[in-house]
Amino acid sequence: MNIATKDITIQNEIFTLTNQRALFWEKEKALIFSDLHIGKTAHFRKNGIALASHIMKNDLERLSILIEYFQPEKFIIVGDLLHAGDNSDVDTFCEWKNQYSNIKFCLVEGNHDRISKILEKKLCLDFKADLLEINDILFVHDFDKSNSKFQITGHIHPGFVINSSVKKIKLPCFTVTSKQLLLPAFSEFTGLDTKNIPKKGMYFVFTDSEIYEI
Amino acid sequence: MEKGNSPFKFQVDTWNKFGSGYSGMVVAPTGFGKTFSVFLALISDFLTNPDKYKKGLKMIWITPLRSLSKDIAKAMQEAIDEIGLDWAVGVRNGDTDPKVRQQQVKNMPEILVVTPESLHLLLAQKNHQRFFTNMHCVAVDEWHELLGSKRGVMVELGISQLFHYVPKLKIWGITATIGNLDEAQDVLIPYDIKKTKITAKELKKIDIISVFPDEVELLPWAGHLGQKLADKVVPIILESKSTIVFTNTRSQSEMWYQLLLNAYPDFAGQIAIHHSSIDAHLRIWIEENLSSGKLKAVVSTSSLDLGIDFKPVDTVIQIGSAKGVARFLQRAGRSGHSPFETSKIFCVPTHSLELIEVAALKEAVKQKVIEPREPVVLCFDVLVQFLMTLAVGDGFFPNEVYERIKKVYTFQEIRDEEWKEMIDFLTIGGSALKSYEEYHKVVVMEDGLHKVTSRKIAMLHRMNMGAIVSDAMLKVKFISGGYIGMVEEYFISRLKKEEKFILAGRVLEVAMIKDMTVFVRASKGKALAPSYLGGRLPLSSNLGHFLREKLSGALNPKAFEKELKFLHPLLANQEKRSHIPKEDEFLVELIKNREGYHLFMYPFEGRLVHEVMAALIAYRISKLAPISFSMAMNDYGFELFSDKEIPLTEDNLDKILTRDNLMVDVISSINSAEMARRKFRDIAVISGMVVQNFPGQQRSNKALQSSAGLIFKVLENYDPNHFLVRQAYTEVFNMQLQEQRLVEAFKRIEKSKFILKYSNKFTPLSFPIKVDSLRQTLTSENLDARIQKLIKQSGRNIKDE
Repeated sequence: MNIATKDITIQNEIFTLTNQRALFWEKEKALIFSDLHIGKTAHFRKNGIALASHIMKNDLERLSILIEYFQPEKFIIVGDLLHAGDNSDVDTFCEWKNQYSNIKFCLVEGNHDRISKILEKKLCLDFKADLLEINDILFVHDFDKSNSKFQITGHIHPGFVINSSVKKIKLPCFTVTSKQLLLPAFSEFTGLDTKNIPKKGMYFVFTDSEIYEI
Repeated sequence: MEKGNSPFKFQVDTWNKFGSGYSGMVVAPTGFGKTFSVFLALISDFLTNPDKYKKGLKMIWITPLRSLSKDIAKAMQEAIDEIGLDWAVGVRNGDTDPKVRQQQVKNMPEILVVTPESLHLLLAQKNHQRFFTNMHCVAVDEWHELLGSKRGVMVELGISQLFHYVPKLKIWGITATIGNLDEAQDVLIPYDIKKTKITAKELKKIDIISVFPDEVELLPWAGHLGQKLADKVVPIILESKSTIVFTNTRSQSEMWYQLLLNAYPDFAGQIAIHHSSIDAHLRIWIEENLSSGKLKAVVSTSSLDLGIDFKPVDTVIQIGSAKGVARFLQRAGRSGHSPFETSKIFCVPTHSLELIEVAALKEAVKQKVIEPREPVVLCFDVLVQFLMTLAVGDGFFPNEVYERIKKVYTFQEIRDEEWKEMIDFLTIGGSALKSYEEYHKVVVMEDGLHKVTSRKIAMLHRMNMGAIVSDAMLKVKFISGGYIGMVEEYFISRLKKEEKFILAGRVLEVAMIKDMTVFVRASKGKALAPSYLGGRLPLSSNLGHFLREKLSGALNPKAFEKELKFLHPLLANQEKRSHIPKEDEFLVELIKNREGYHLFMYPFEGRLVHEVMAALIAYRISKLAPISFSMAMNDYGFELFSDKEIPLTEDNLDKILTRDNLMVDVISSINSAEMARRKFRDIAVISGMVVQNFPGQQRSNKALQSSAGLIFKVLENYDPNHFLVRQAYTEVFNMQLQEQRLVEAFKRIEKSKFILKYSNKFTPLSFPIKVDSLRQTLTSENLDARIQKLIKQSGRNIKDE
């Protein structure tokens, strides 16, 4: 796996974008990502659609490599950690997470995170709320128009279409506007929305090996 | 059989053979009462041997179209009443009232008219075997329409199950003439029973008339003739009692509806538009009014290719190419329905070159060369669905079912490993080494019975049975209330704000989209007609052959066809600027203009084959020197376009067009993974990997949605040997690449004399290809290099690297 990075400055803070669908905040030692959708494949299997759990394991491996690389002290998950409540994939996730019990685990809840008290205990969350604010930067799952603060969000699974006269290529991206930093979905088992991404922003698309600003 | 007339010989033959216990296939043109050949055979057999028949269901009648069922049932019921029997004919399909369906379960009618899907739904019922015990015959109407499709495979599987319940079952098929009748019969009746083929001697007379524009342009442009020709079509409609105007796509039908109304405003209220996106009630209303002669004309897509006889229809108009002889005959046969009437079909070209196609069609009809319908093989997705159907019903024992499946034509080549993979897929999700915790679909009971126990899974399966995969469709309703029809989500998602669209002949403006419904208001002015992804049928190879023949002789002063005479200026222009290929020649044009360098080749093999050929030729040229191409193609030929000079000369042409290493080069030239991904869409839906319909709007179901593309990516990464992935690749080779046809084409090209012409202007043959917008690229650059290039091309800069 090749980690390509690009530093950007927002609100006088430096953030490191990666081509591995996550964001690193050096000053806070925080690894920030969104839309992990743990349990999606298990939910499919439960309903008779055969998908092996390798997909999630691959996502977690990617996360492990990122942890190795950045040595974060905390995770900030901007929503949709889980896909559909508790299932066997969540067990696997908890086992994985136990290796990193020293890293603080903060969850900003997303629309998929329907987390019961029992489940909350199982996940060993250090923080769980609808939003999180650090240094005047707001972490929230979906962009909140009524709040004037700068927001780091997920939810959309943004993708960007590069057009030319002959060909189209669709790639996942980070989107940055004056009010918002929209994260790509961390899980690879997610689609891309190219319609509902903020207009007139900077778009950082990436491939397995590189990250580009458009 | 017309009342009061004496029966045709093929009808009498059918009754006799049926009476002596035969199964078989009836081949007859439309309008000669082929329905009554098989249906009355059952009645006459009953009347001769009433004691052989017990109470309950006696015949299942399978028809490809829901809309046909009602009328067939009505006609049968009338005949039965006239004879004075107390039999009932029932219809069972998606439109049937649940109350009626329940009654049928309690008390089956004597004859049940179904679609392939509703037959399978019956098989998904618990304890369904009791319905069939006293059955004598299963009849498949319009078998030529089902053969070669996955719905045809559903019919094969359904019959195998019925044949298992009733070993003495008679299987009868009814078909129009196609090129491979014997094969068609083998597919329908692969069993070792008494069978026969009965062919009607009666012939349908057809009048083929070209509609000429006032003048011929020197460069034909696909599609732009419409406006001019609408004025010529109006009098044809006015002079006829009732007319069907056939188009090839839904967008074309919407366009022509508008064109006709503009050309002759009095048509308002007298003409209608009919295609599969239009509300079913409206469609039925249109069909009824066409039958009763109240409508002057209906603009339609293939949605009216089949169906009941519209007696008043005496004229058919075909807009654009019919793409194949069989399809053309089918459409022509929609007019002049009674046996000895002449079918009249007017051909309206969308660009003037299509007039040559009319000449070619006339020749093909004269020589009675009709395309075969190739049966599909090893459709694992349909088999998986069928096994699920059995598991949802009473359950099944794999070994016992396997013996039956091996007899079904489509699955005669199935291997034991493949069968095992399929059973594993249903029971544990995949190979045992993979992790499929909590997988829960088919459960193996203690006695080995494979059965679905989860009610939710059973319900999801029942709601998603079938082999017709459509794009996600959105309902279109007026904001003030009133349903208009359906439109592809794909189309709506591309619509910009303020843009209007046309549906069911109305100009509409989107007000909002909510709950899978597009709320619209009526509007005026310029609007887009939904363009649909499907519906681009390629030219058949038979028609391609006649087309080449007609073109080669086009400038022969002895050519007498009106079409060719009319086209003379255009053809002379082609000869002057370049060349008109003779039958033993293969034309290559190199055109240089301001834009860049264009290479045109004209194999006349249809769009699909050209797509593959274009990629192949591009690949072979790019081996000579690094070069990137964009491609375009139509049914006649293809274009490679580059900003660099194309290193092609008379000396290396034979190497570029050789048959050596053909398939090896094809595989290197195409993005087979991308093609397979596209094919996987249908496979994923049919096999149940992607769920299209959910019960109600329950929130929890949203979490089950994913795209076939995503699942394909996952399977390719983690289980590349998955049998459904393999099937996707096989379908690419058989259907997309059409290996057989490609090889045949190259055999022919290899023997031809190559003619290479240079020009700096487009020629009449090249121009329609140039304006065609289906573009693709072939390039050897890797993804990252491509992206950088694309970004530069699109005028944006990569800021740092």
